[in-house]
Amino acid sequence: MSKLFDILLLLLLISCALAVVRMKDLLAATIVFSGYSLVMCLLWVHRGAPDVAMTEAAVGAGVTTVLFLLAISRTARYERR
Amino acid sequence: MIEALWQNIDYVASVLLFCIGLYAMITKSNLIKKFIGLNIMETSVFAFIVALGVVEGGDAPIMGVGASPPFINPLPQSLILTGIVVAVSTTALALSLIIRIHKQCGTIEADELREME
Amino acid sequence: MKRAAVIVLLVVVAIPLVLAMADLPPYGSPDSPAYTHVGAYYLEHGVEEAGAENIVTDVILNYRGFDTEGEVTVIFTAMAAVLAVLMASRGGGEAGTRPPLTPPSVVVRFVVRVMAPLTLMFAVYVIMNGHITPGGGFQGGTIVGAVFIALTLVLSERDATRLIPNRPERVLQAAAPIVYCLIGLLGLALFDVYLGYPRTEEMGLLRTAMLVTLEIGIGVGGATVIATIFRTMGSDQ
Repeated sequence: MSKLFDILLLLLLISCALAVVRMKDLLAATIVFSGYSLVMCLLWVHRGAPDVAMTEAAVGAGVTTVLFLLAISRTARYERR
Repeated sequence: MIEALWQNIDYVASVLLFCIGLYAMITKSNLIKKFIGLNIMETSVFAFIVALGVVEGGDAPIMGVGASPPFINPLPQSLILTGIVVAVSTTALALSLIIRIHKQCGTIEADELREME
Repeated sequence: MKRAAVIVLLVVVAIPLVLAMADLPPYGSPDSPAYTHVGAYYLEHGVEEAGAENIVTDVILNYRGFDTEGEVTVIFTAMAAVLAVLMASRGGGEAGTRPPLTPPSVVVRFVVRVMAPLTLMFAVYVIMNGHITPGGGFQGGTIVGAVFIALTLVLSERDATRLIPNRPERVLQAAAPIVYCLIGLLGLALFDVYLGYPRTEEMGLLRTAMLVTLEIGIGVGGATVIATIFRTMGSDQ
């Protein structure tokens, strides 16, 4: 049961990573990247590392996503090729 | 060998994520997309190192009430805490450099930057 | 053509790694060498030697204290580098005005104003209880930084620049390395070792006080660094 949950989280992680790499709209890619960070945080809670999970949740959703959004708003929104 | 791989499926998933990040970093020409690839590579290594310390049926390493051995190894978790902070620092610096490049050269695609020299 | 070459390269890189993964000790086994030597010592003697019930805080502040000092220096240096890169083209002066944004809707303003004090209280709880429950200095500091970012979006511009007080701003940004050096010198003065902690049970109060002071320093420093990076990147060019 626990192994099934593990495999489910890993599949979700890999599909989020593939989606981020393939998207051309950088704003959508940033939001999916924030979702990737959330799934990583769940994975660490499942593995019994609450400190790391709290740090990743605060940093991934709070800081990295906001900085990416600032950078996208100052540069280009769509990838050109 | 297939059974050994099936048992260590968490490590194999980390290798897969690393390769996805490496692919994004090599092929995409947009600087921000390259940087997202670097971030995916960093988090995959963190997931691998924390997974090295897991003990089956263990509790989190907090000695409070109701905690009993076996505990999960606390050493990889502390190394990864420092690693996450360093990843955030490189994210902030790289994104500010990208903003500066865009202001100076008008584009953030690596092909166009190379032709501009 | 280039894409096919990259995929071949990645397969060549991935295959030895995957084969190596098959040779590692099985996932979750209690006999792996990473667990039996140093990790077991920290789990057994952590609470009596280092005084914190959260073994991870034990390890990062006591057993591996120099690594954490390096970490706070790294994040301070990153903030200094961001300031150097982005402010050089503006010709000095304070962080300038924001570009005209559309004002946020009533829902966003109301929710942020209600949630901000509660989230700040939670962040202070996480910082102060870092040595008993999961949490710690950097986690709480990042939550304070995130509250600051949310408040910057809804406050008027004049109020937003007052969120970080102007005169102690430089000291607050460097709070984490400064507090670390002071506690390290205190350890040097009392116990002949830089960043030395008392090892006995009678001085347990001093030990807990040093740990909590370090956590508060890291929390305040981390929050101010994140807020400064956000304000610098977000202001007008």
